[in-house]
Amino acid sequence: MRLGMVIDRKRCIGCYSCQISCKAAHALPPDVFFGRVLVSETGTYPTVTKQILPVLCNHCKEAACVKVCPTGATQKREDGIVYVNSEECVGCRYCIVACPYQMRTYNSDGNKEYWPGQGLTELERVGREILYPLEPNTVIKCNFCMEKLDEGLRKGLKIGIDREATPTCVNACPVKARTFGDLDDPNSNVSKLIKERKGYPLHSELGTEPSVYYLD
Amino acid sequence: MQANMKPFEWMVKPTPQKEWIERRGILLWLAFFFIELGAGAFFVGTIFKSIEAMLVGWLVCGVIGGGIHILYLGHPFRFWRMVSRPGSSWISRGLIFVSLFLIFGLIQMIMVQAGGASPVVMVLADLFAFLTIVYGGFAMNFVNGIALWNTALLPIIYGVSGIWGGAGLALGIALASGEVSTLGPSLEEWIRLLLVAYAFLLAVYLVSVRYTNPTGRLSVQSIIFGRFKALMWLVVVLLGLALPMTIVVISFNTGIENMPAGALYLSIFCELLGDLTLRYLILKGGLYSPLIPSSAYSPSSAF
Repeated sequence: MRLGMVIDRKRCIGCYSCQISCKAAHALPPDVFFGRVLVSETGTYPTVTKQILPVLCNHCKEAACVKVCPTGATQKREDGIVYVNSEECVGCRYCIVACPYQMRTYNSDGNKEYWPGQGLTELERVGREILYPLEPNTVIKCNFCMEKLDEGLRKGLKIGIDREATPTCVNACPVKARTFGDLDDPNSNVSKLIKERKGYPLHSELGTEPSVYYLD
Repeated sequence: MQANMKPFEWMVKPTPQKEWIERRGILLWLAFFFIELGAGAFFVGTIFKSIEAMLVGWLVCGVIGGGIHILYLGHPFRFWRMVSRPGSSWISRGLIFVSLFLIFGLIQMIMVQAGGASPVVMVLADLFAFLTIVYGGFAMNFVNGIALWNTALLPIIYGVSGIWGGAGLALGIALASGEVSTLGPSLEEWIRLLLVAYAFLLAVYLVSVRYTNPTGRLSVQSIIFGRFKALMWLVVVLLGLALPMTIVVISFNTGIENMPAGALYLSIFCELLGDLTLRYLILKGGLYSPLIPSSAYSPSSAF
C-alpha cells in the first residue's frame, strides 16, 4: 500500500477550507501550516492566468527528508506516510533544507499565542496540550492525519472512502477537489484519476517520486 | 514552510534557503567554517610536524566549531543520536568523522609529546581530519532542490578551502611562535598552490552552476551581479584572493622570512575572512525552484 492524494486544480476554487481545517484539527501555532493554498498569476498581459495550487507534504517515495535525517526521527511507514517522531528529532533542520517543496516547519516556540502578550487562550491551551501536542524545537509537518487513519482502520473503515478514515483536508473540501487512496491499487480512485487525466507530481525531475498528484 | 513569505511567491518564484543562514542558522555557517578550518590546521600541522598547529586546529575544530554546532541544535542534549544514520545522512557521517578525528588527533598529539609518534595513528587522524574538512560540502551537495549546492565541485572547494585556511592558520601560529624561518617557506608554497587552486575552482564552480537551470543562474547572478555583489567582489575577490595573492607574489621574490610580520598576518586574516564570506554567500545564495514548472514563469522577473 502506498497512500497518496490527487488534487484537481480545475475543481479547486481557492476557498482555503483545506488549509484552515488542517490548522484547526492540529491546533497549529501562528505562522505554521501543514498545508496551504497558493494563489498567484502567471504570464504577462494579455495572456495572464490565475493559478491556484494547494500544497502539502508530498510523502515522497524517495523522500530526501528521510535520507538526510541523522537521527532517524523522520521515518517512512509501510503505507508510504512520512512522519516525524519528535522525541528523536534533534532540531538540526537538515530535512527542512533538503525538502525541495519547502513543506516542513521548525516549531521554535510551542507557546506562541494568537493574541501576543495575552497568553494562550483556553482553546489554544486545550489544543496544544491535549488535542495535538507539538514538541518545541523540533521539525513538524503534515502526516496525512495518520492518527485519524489508524483509528479508522482499527474500526474497520475504508481509507479515503469513509470520512473517519480520510485526512481532514480531503473531508473539508467543498468541491471534492481532493481524492485520497492507495496509489499501488490500480483500481483505486486515485490511480484511476491519475491514469485517466494524466496526473502529475511537482518537481518530478528531482527523482523524489511524490505521492501527491495534480490534475489540470 | 517559511512563515514570512507571501503565499504566492513560493509558487512562482525561486525562493531563498533560510534555515541554515538566517536567525540561528548563522550558527551553522560559523560551525562549518570553524570545524573545517580547525581540521585543516591539524592536517597541515601533522604534515609540517607543528604540534602547536595541531593543538590549535584540534581546539578550533572540537571546542569552537563543535560547540557552535551543538548550540545550533534545537535539542543539544540529544546530539548523540545524530550518529545513528551514517548509511544515508551526511550530518550523521560528519559527526562520526569529527568524533574520530578528535579521538585520533588527541592520541596523536599525546604520542608526539611523549616522543613516540605512531604512523598508523597519524594516518587515521589525518584521514578523519580530511573527511571532517569535506563533509560539510557533501552535506550541502546532497540537497538536490538547491542548484547552487547540488554540484560535485562544492565538496572539492570546501576541501581546498579547509586545507588552505588551515595552512594560513598554521603559518600564523608559526609566525607567533617564531618558527617562520623553518616552517614558513614550505607553508608558503602550499598556500601559493592552494590559493591558485581555490580561485580556479571558484570560477569553474560559478560558471558551471550558471548553466544548470534557471534557478542556478539566478543564484550565481545574485552573487556576482545582484544583491551580494559587494560582498563577493570586495571581500571574497579583493580581500580574500587578490590581497593574499599580491603578498604571496612579493614574498616569492623577497623570501617569506624577510616579509614584515604585519603583512603576513594581514594576508592570513583576509584569506580567512574571504573564505568565511564565500561560505556565507553560498548558503545565502541557495535558491529553491518554484513549485509551478519552470516554463510557467519568467526567470528575469523573479527578482
